[in-house]
Amino acid sequence: MIAIVASIWVLIPFFWAIINSFKTFEATFSAAAIIPFLNFQPTLDSWKEVLGDPQSLNSLLSSAIVAVGTTLLVLLLGTPAAYSLARYEFPWQSKDIALWFLSQRVMPPVVVLVPFYIIMVQLRLIDTWSGLILLYSTFNLAFCVVIMRDIFRDVSKDVEEAARIEGANLWQIFWMIALPLSLDGLIVTAIIVFAFSWNEALFASALTSQHASTLPAFILASRSTRGVNFNTAAVNTIIAIAPPVIMSFFVQRYLARGLSFGAVKG
Amino acid sequence: MAIVEIEKVSKRYGDVVAVQNFTLTTKDGEFVVLVGPSGCGKTTTMRMVAGLESITEGSIRIAGRDVAGMIPRERDVAMVFQNYALFPHMNVFGNMSFGLRLRKLPKQQIENQVRKAANILGIENLLHRKPKELSGGQRQRVALGRAIVRDPQVFLMDEPLSNIDAKLRVEMRGEITKLQRRLGVTTFYVTHDQVEAMSMGDRVVVMLEGQIQQVGTPRDLYRKPMNRYVAGFIGSPAMNFVRAHVGEDGIVSAGEDFRLFMRGPVMEAVRKRGLSEVWTGVRPEHLKIRRQGDAASKNVIRGTVEVVEPQGSTTLIQLSVGNDLRMHALLEAHLEPAVGERLDLWVGDDAVYVFDPATDQSIQ
Repeated sequence: MIAIVASIWVLIPFFWAIINSFKTFEATFSAAAIIPFLNFQPTLDSWKEVLGDPQSLNSLLSSAIVAVGTTLLVLLLGTPAAYSLARYEFPWQSKDIALWFLSQRVMPPVVVLVPFYIIMVQLRLIDTWSGLILLYSTFNLAFCVVIMRDIFRDVSKDVEEAARIEGANLWQIFWMIALPLSLDGLIVTAIIVFAFSWNEALFASALTSQHASTLPAFILASRSTRGVNFNTAAVNTIIAIAPPVIMSFFVQRYLARGLSFGAVKG
Repeated sequence: MAIVEIEKVSKRYGDVVAVQNFTLTTKDGEFVVLVGPSGCGKTTTMRMVAGLESITEGSIRIAGRDVAGMIPRERDVAMVFQNYALFPHMNVFGNMSFGLRLRKLPKQQIENQVRKAANILGIENLLHRKPKELSGGQRQRVALGRAIVRDPQVFLMDEPLSNIDAKLRVEMRGEITKLQRRLGVTTFYVTHDQVEAMSMGDRVVVMLEGQIQQVGTPRDLYRKPMNRYVAGFIGSPAMNFVRAHVGEDGIVSAGEDFRLFMRGPVMEAVRKRGLSEVWTGVRPEHLKIRRQGDAASKNVIRGTVEVVEPQGSTTLIQLSVGNDLRMHALLEAHLEPAVGERLDLWVGDDAVYVFDPATDQSIQ
């Protein structure tokens, strides 16, 4: 029962978006227009409008490049860092390092919006893909390190020692043993980082204007002087939601196993 | 194949001493078993030979080369872990060839060496399976295969049989011994099981609290234990110990029902030390029931049967001797005394062990 209520609660916005994407601008204001063909005449106009708009397509491209770029950069830097935190003692306590990393996540992001804006201006990274990638990476690196550290800790020490005896050096152990054995967690981390970067709207709106404007920023900006174009906003929303949803379907088995963060290592 | 020389090796973690002053030189191709209770330092010693643990003091030489500061790869040793430690994401071939691939040997040679090792262990048909598709015994073989495929100087085995069931364990015990003899590779084998130690080792090192208690052949350890700890650890069921008064004429006694005679030289030694009390030790399997007209020894151990445990080929009984002594005796199977029965037992003079109560050292 609760599950049904919860599903309806979650699905209503999707339903709203799908219905509205097939309406004309005028029909979006009609409260009775709920069932297609019966209450209103569905049209592909808003889809045509959005897909024909170069700015809209550009923001789709921006979103893809920024999200993929962020995910790659975060994994590239975060996984080795996580591994060394999981396996080695540092002169200062490893526990503290993890806490510093985590503090990044706890802080409300809006606090650093202005400082980041100023930094980006000085680095001439306003409205660039690389600017956004750098920014999102700083947010997500901490997350990646903390999660992957726990996942690496679940890799059997004996197995790594066996590899050492067989003649593997640290880099080979990381690359040939630890990483393949942590693939589940790595994929989940990648998806979460990707979804974050894909969805982030606040910084994207503030730090981009045209060239590097991502989908969420573009959607926010679709409020015109005449109010919100609900039909085109709906199309954009669907386009924005699709990739992470489709991706999660593909890697569902990893998500289910990985999200328990190694509690039930197979 | 190599001689391993371990000299005055110690390992300390802060104030905790894990291994103290460990000295041992193996023969070439020898099978050395390190045995002791958990936490006695046996595994730490092996890990220091492997290079997984640094040495606090002392030196280790393998085939004449000082290996201190060498990483495991340079030491040319192979190790079998207690839980096999196979690489779960690689198949059996991948597991066995791992070390060879790291050494960048030609593909054909890797293939040949893996096949040869697999053939020795009878696992050729498993080469494409993943570890999770193997039974415990098969995993064990793969772990052994990974060790022998590189033809290393030294084998290190850390309780390799403790994770498989009892029946298979006996089988694998024999196989490992056979394999080791066939390959002639110097081997260190760690176990807490004295039966394994006795049945497999050319020499056995008994350890306690980081120190070697005694090194010897299984027979030596059984017949001439150096101290009370070794005497109690080696042999199953364990030796009976009785604290006894030293009387005149080499008699040691604990009440009416426990009276033993020491052999001449032992008596001399006890007298020389001026001991009024000693620990006496008698192995359960050396206790015999006295029959009428036996010209047996004058040693007397009388007790009441409390527990009878038939073991198939033998019968283990627990006796209460005198007021507060408990002793075990291992009798032939057809002798199955009833609970509550009085038994009159004897033991040969040469099977009586005597230990100094102050030092626990054996007096011989």
